[in-house]
Amino acid sequence: MGWLSSSPAVDAAPAAPKASADGAFEAPDRNARAHCWEARDAYFHCLDRNAIIDSVKAASLAEERCGKEDVQFKTNCASSWVQYFKKRRVVEYQRDQTLKKLEAEGAQKMDGALPGGAPASPPAAR
Amino acid sequence: MANSAPGPNTHGGTAQAALNAEADTEYIGLLERSLADIDLPFFVRMAVHIDLASRHRLAAEILYQWGRLHYPLGDNEWADARLDEPFSWQAGLLFFIAGAGLTIYFRTEKERMARKRIAETTKGIGRPKVGGQFELIDQNGQRFTDEDMKGKYALVYFGFTHCPDICPEELDKMAGMIDIVQKTNGNVMRPIFITCDPARDTPAVMKTYLKEFHPALIGLTGTWEQVKSVCKAYRVYFSTPPDVQPGQDYLVDHSIYFYLMDPDGDFVEAIGRNFTVERAARVINEHIGDWRGKLDKE
Repeated sequence: MGWLSSSPAVDAAPAAPKASADGAFEAPDRNARAHCWEARDAYFHCLDRNAIIDSVKAASLAEERCGKEDVQFKTNCASSWVQYFKKRRVVEYQRDQTLKKLEAEGAQKMDGALPGGAPASPPAAR
Repeated sequence: MANSAPGPNTHGGTAQAALNAEADTEYIGLLERSLADIDLPFFVRMAVHIDLASRHRLAAEILYQWGRLHYPLGDNEWADARLDEPFSWQAGLLFFIAGAGLTIYFRTEKERMARKRIAETTKGIGRPKVGGQFELIDQNGQRFTDEDMKGKYALVYFGFTHCPDICPEELDKMAGMIDIVQKTNGNVMRPIFITCDPARDTPAVMKTYLKEFHPALIGLTGTWEQVKSVCKAYRVYFSTPPDVQPGQDYLVDHSIYFYLMDPDGDFVEAIGRNFTVERAARVINEHIGDWRGKLDKE
């Protein structure tokens, strides 16, 4: 995209979802997912450079500093995914902070004997 | 002869030795008188052997010293009378080999018992009731029920095709596990992907989606009620609303485990996200190795 020198993979938006044989829309395939993740990573790197964690709360600042990456992000990913990734960024940051605090207090990391699966996403608004 | 020697002979005990010294002198005297014309040095050497073997060490020691004194043969001939030590290097080696063998045996048995305990907690009374009857359709539109799952092991994963990154990641891991298990044990495990999003995940959508991960993957979907019922049977959190409009964009909450089911259709173990591909495959292979019933390998 011009002077932004992003990798060629992020140039073209993936095609609109096609209909499958029985009418429902196809899910994003491996290629589309890869594009989405690259756009997400580009956006998040921009946020990191500007020390923004919560791009939803600090929306105006994020828009000002990382607006272009955000547009790429929204083009390459479904909107539910965009919201999910943004919220998860905040959750992961808070989790890392908690872990750092615990380690400073001398807690020991246990081997993951307990199942560590988290739900796939916070429920999207309907 | 050694047994009828007067007084017990023991290893230590100088008091005991003093007591027995007299008896032993008598014993040796007996020996000398009665065996006058036999090859005494040889016989004495033999007697030393016998005494050592029967633990009469003191008697053996006395005989040995007396023999050396009266029959000064080369040291070699007397030396080999002492070879019959109870602790030789052969005995030591045997001890260590036996010890190593027993340790290895106990360790493998302990691990096997631990796995058996896991596998059987689901078979007795009060077991976690994961799994059970269900009826769905696969990615080719064919009916697929819990009966079709029996006969082989099954690895079940719940997800949905519009999943941002967790399901693709887990499905890639699953493909890795399938390959390792197939290499080790052959075609004994059915990998099954059950959708939590029946509105969007039709059989055709599932077919296209799963082809990218592994050809052996079976994708199951159905009506909202059927999917809700299988999620309930597997204790999977299911949050999709029943009346989703076509084209709506949403994400689905679901538990993220691989459920290993045995050829009887009973639950064996849940494998979480913290397992690597190799570790998960090893766990599955170990359970398959432990299975003593019929196992379809087609």
